Amino acid sequence: MNTLTDEDLMQKVSYGDLDMLKVLFERHHKHIFNFLYKMSGDKMLSEDLTQDVFYKVMQYRASYNNGKFVSWLFTIARNSLKTHYTRTKEQHDDIKLEGHQLIEKQSNEQEEYSHLQIALNKLKTSDRELLILNRFQEIKYAELAEIKGSTPGAIKTKVNRALQKLRTIYFENI
Amino acid sequence: MMKKNHITELIPEYLDGLLSQSQKEEVRLHLKECESCLKELEEYKTIFNAFEEEKEVIPSEHIKTNFFEQIEIEKQKESKVVPLINRTSNQKKIWLLPIMKIAASILLLIGGYALGNYQQEQKGNHKIAQLQEKTQKIKQTAMLSLIGNKSASKRIQGVNYIDEFSNPDEAIVAALVDRMLYDENTNVRLTAVEALSNFITSEEVKNAFIKALKIEKAPAIQIIIIQVLVKIQEKKAIIPMKKLLEQNETQPFIKEQIKSSIINIV
Amino acid sequence: MKKIILFIVFATIVNLTAIAQDYHQSLEGIEWVKIESKSSIIVKAYDKNELLIKAGNRGEINEKAKGLRLVGEDGTDNTNIGFYVIKEGNNLIVRNLKKNEHAIIYLPASQNISVKTTWHGDINIFNFTSEIEATAELNGSVAIKDVTGPITANSLNGEVQVSFSKVSQKSPITIYSTNGELEISLPKNTPADLSLYSTNGDIYTNFDISTPSKKGMRSVSSKKIKGTINKGGVNIKLNTTNGNIYLRKR
Repeated sequence: MNTLTDEDLMQKVSYGDLDMLKVLFERHHKHIFNFLYKMSGDKMLSEDLTQDVFYKVMQYRASYNNGKFVSWLFTIARNSLKTHYTRTKEQHDDIKLEGHQLIEKQSNEQEEYSHLQIALNKLKTSDRELLILNRFQEIKYAELAEIKGSTPGAIKTKVNRALQKLRTIYFENI
Repeated sequence: MMKKNHITELIPEYLDGLLSQSQKEEVRLHLKECESCLKELEEYKTIFNAFEEEKEVIPSEHIKTNFFEQIEIEKQKESKVVPLINRTSNQKKIWLLPIMKIAASILLLIGGYALGNYQQEQKGNHKIAQLQEKTQKIKQTAMLSLIGNKSASKRIQGVNYIDEFSNPDEAIVAALVDRMLYDENTNVRLTAVEALSNFITSEEVKNAFIKALKIEKAPAIQIIIIQVLVKIQEKKAIIPMKKLLEQNETQPFIKEQIKSSIINIV
Repeated sequence: MKKIILFIVFATIVNLTAIAQDYHQSLEGIEWVKIESKSSIIVKAYDKNELLIKAGNRGEINEKAKGLRLVGEDGTDNTNIGFYVIKEGNNLIVRNLKKNEHAIIYLPASQNISVKTTWHGDINIFNFTSEIEATAELNGSVAIKDVTGPITANSLNGEVQVSFSKVSQKSPITIYSTNGELEISLPKNTPADLSLYSTNGDIYTNFDISTPSKKGMRSVSSKKIKGTINKGGVNIKLNTTNGNIYLRKR
């Protein structure tokens, strides 16, 4: 059973074999959760959204187009996070503030975040996202391109630039 | 000449081992001569190490339980839908499929938003209903917020609030059911079972008890669930009780209890 | 990556070979300390505002393990004394990875703690004024001494002893055991609403419990007692399935 690829499993799910979703959940929920957690810094929210992501996979299983499952999953995760921020926009004044809020939070709760996380939080959301996906989740350029709707070459350049920015930030306040 | 041509762009991929043989050679040669690139390399190494060492955070177990439960619910819906689809001819199905896919992917895009609005509305309706009894609502809010507290003692306090409601509404019952099934603390689950046993006539509570009987591992709670279900002679309890009889880890006194009471139901 | 301060090799001369190792960790921003262990654990209050673990390594340093790290099912030794310590939000998770060694953990008296043992581990907790949760999942016993509560404790087979120096009126106290006995002592002037219940065991107390009586008739059931002491107060619930319950004045 475990030797089936994600795509095989998801295909079964899309034909109605919902138990296969359990296998997919076991395989990927920690990654999705950690992606959301690294992006938002909010554990409760990330847990809720992780459930939400897999719920959507179930709801929209018929729309699975046999593409790379991981790309699809992370696309849904990104959308969920975006939707969440749009929805709570009124409470937060401006979505763009999110990054800053993370940093502020961090200074109150010392040791909550590693030096790396603090440096990541200072990046633009899109750069941070790229690096979290590429380096923590080990998502390849090709899949990143699918997720972000771009080409592998362009993604590679973007990742490299984001890495350079990160390096500068990381070493300027060590 | 090399020096002018810094290899900054190639360093990350070099470290990841993604470069071609000739590129690697180029980088190696350059690094021998260029201190600034060497420094950069070291910095990237540090950062990549930091990425490696960054701890993975483990989400709570309850998200799994919740999601698996959603799968079960979906399965039930599915089984209701299947006969309908079967009635349509095979050809029609094939024709329908791509459209369904497109429709569904559009839904996926707008779905999140629409769903949000819908939920908001639902909540709104709910609130109006609640406003009818202002004090009840305050109590309910207090109760629900206590039930979500980190401290087990506070959650128990929240569950005990049930005494304040002569006729608890769905939200309260659902919150108690949630504690009974999924709270990590045995004392909280036990308190919730006791609180809910007063509402065992409700279909929802009855089903929750049967579910609890299947998943609960603490004997102190199992015995109460069994007693309550036997008292109302709930037939659906028979299968999970028989399962408990078969399991090695079931405590002897639970087996005794089941054996002596199962006759009363059948 | 984590700012863990290590003070290693703290030689205490208990006998010639005994070596105790200490591990310190700040409690900044920590709401709950959650301790998990398969073996017995002692948690004591002290006057510093940090976590201190004294691992009861009985001298024999495992030569074969030199240069290696202890790996448990639920984590890797990141303290050098056989514990896995990690922050999760406002919780500090402290796991004893060794299956048969005892340890003493020191924490400030006001620290909320949750202790769980899973195998033969006995839980011993002393002198806290904070909220305490204790679970002995299998054969371990629970002893909580000189505390104020709130207490939430349960055991499967071991006995549970709790002695209160004073009883916090903040939130309910619940103590359960399936097969073990409960031995609880409270200061005699404690105001409380009591609920004592045992399915198969007996209940003994020297408190005068005022039970809601009908025409002066006392509730006669020895299995289930509900009532108040000192005009009522915080909820205290003691429950066993097969063990006896002893509730004493202190």
